[in-house]
Amino acid sequence: MSKQLIKLRVNGEQYELAVPPNKLLLDVLREDLGLTGTKRGCDDSSCGACSVLVDGVPMLACVALAASYQDCELTTVEGLGTLDALHPVQSSWGDAGGAQCGFCTSGFLISTKALLDRNPHPSLDEIREALSANLCRCTGYMQIYESVKLAIERAAAAKAAGAGS
Amino acid sequence: MTMPAFRLERPRSLADAVSILATHGPDAMILAGGTDVVPNLQMKLFSPRVLVDIKPLAKNAQLASIDWSPANGLRIGALATLTSICESPLIREKFPVLAAAVATIAGPLQRNMGTVGGNLCLETRCQWYNQSDFWRKSLGGCLKKDGPICHVAPGGKFCWAAWSGDSAPALLTLDAEIEITGPQGARRLPLAQFYKNDGMDRIALGRDELLTAVHVPARMAGRRGNYHKLRVRNSIDYPLAGVAVSMHVDSRGICRDARLALTAVNPAPLLVKEACEWLAGQPASPELIDRVAQQAIRTAKPLTTSGSTPVYRRDMVRVFTRRALEESWRSADGK
Ligand SMILES: Cc1cc2nc3c(=O)[nH]c(=O)nc-3n(C[C@H](O)[C@H](O)[C@H](O)COP(=O)(O)OP(=O)(O)OC[C@H]3O[C@@H](n4cnc5c(N)ncnc54)[C@H](O)[C@@H]3O)c2cc1C
Repeated sequence: MSKQLIKLRVNGEQYELAVPPNKLLLDVLREDLGLTGTKRGCDDSSCGACSVLVDGVPMLACVALAASYQDCELTTVEGLGTLDALHPVQSSWGDAGGAQCGFCTSGFLISTKALLDRNPHPSLDEIREALSANLCRCTGYMQIYESVKLAIERAAAAKAAGAGS
Repeated sequence: MTMPAFRLERPRSLADAVSILATHGPDAMILAGGTDVVPNLQMKLFSPRVLVDIKPLAKNAQLASIDWSPANGLRIGALATLTSICESPLIREKFPVLAAAVATIAGPLQRNMGTVGGNLCLETRCQWYNQSDFWRKSLGGCLKKDGPICHVAPGGKFCWAAWSGDSAPALLTLDAEIEITGPQGARRLPLAQFYKNDGMDRIALGRDELLTAVHVPARMAGRRGNYHKLRVRNSIDYPLAGVAVSMHVDSRGICRDARLALTAVNPAPLLVKEACEWLAGQPASPELIDRVAQQAIRTAKPLTTSGSTPVYRRDMVRVFTRRALEESWRSADGK
């Protein structure tokens, strides 16, 4: 199939790529841009491992045609924080044991980031609801919810510190 | 799985979309949120030459907005996302059955992408059909795709693939109409007439037409309503059975008007017509509720289209109908 030129904006960078029209956003991220943090889990859009933010809203990159998302601001897990300055959801996941095998983690981080951006103090029910399209087969979810709670505390503490200084 | 090859069109206007559909006829397929189309394409269930991505039309606010006025009722653009519908304070307040049903569709990630237009035009589903190309070929195909027989009812020539959408039953209980746009312009059709109850030929939509909006009459605002859904997990999964109820109850607890609709137990979402007749003018009584529940399971014809058994699904239709009616009588009015 002939390729076509598309423009994508990912983690603040602008890319121009030649891809066939049937190429999924997930494959473009992983193969063309080398952003392998976004995972292919179930391959039938039911596990959430491929979640990315589209204009701040979490969506599944495995049901998205890359060419359809040219006018959007895309964020993958690589765009959340840096090694030196992890995003609170990333550091809390490490400290509270939210990840075991790690395959679902980037999807969870993306859904959690979107939740906390919209609602900085969600209840446990709201957390569970927001994460209910992300599947984890290792942790049994309890440590994941603990990680989210820790992220909420850290974000609040950082904000308070910022306000005090 | 891999995607088949196609050309992608991204029309910027409704007129362009209609003309592309008219030019390519059966070779074209509409893509909205893609949560149904893309997995099906990967399974090679369809092989369109042209995929028409209508998402760019969402910029045309009329196609993605939710509008309400006491004179014109509720209008939802076909490209409104499921999340925007179930989180809309207006819909939650005035049309609780719709908010409740949409909140159960798939999971939050799919609802952020999926549109109400796509949900109302969803492909019917069956365990013999929604499988990979390899799986289906090993079986020799089925009536709906590439094969001579239906594995659900091998003697017949009818496809029983189940209607598996959640918003349609809710909208049926609200007397919704849909707006369909084609080369001749826009037309309105009662939602109940859109569904053909045939697993292979599910909806009355021309190849050169698209669904552009859903309308709910103002008189349905403020009714009580709820939705009960059977599925294996409480998130992500499609319905195995579903019951929607809308009811207007007066201050003395008399049901003035009610609708009851089923999903996932026939090739179409269906209103249980007798419920409307039998409930009007009546106070709540266990006998009446039982009678309606009996009629609901007569309307439901679940077959082995899913991993669950027909007996269990039919039984749950009875249980859900009873619960839905009891809840409607008990609950408070919307505003
Ligand atoms: C894991 C998973 C779970 C799911 N669970 C549920 C569930 O519980 N309940 C449920 O109802 N659905 C479920 N779905 C299906 C789907 O997510 C929703 O039905 C969604 O609303 C489909 O909308 P879409 O915009 O993504 O449609 P698309 O996939 O883009 O399109 C669906 C169909 O509608 C046609 N179409 C789309 N828009 C229009 C239009 N405007 N005019 C004419 N034709 C149009 C397409 O050609 C296609 O045939 C699930 C999907 C997945 C992947």
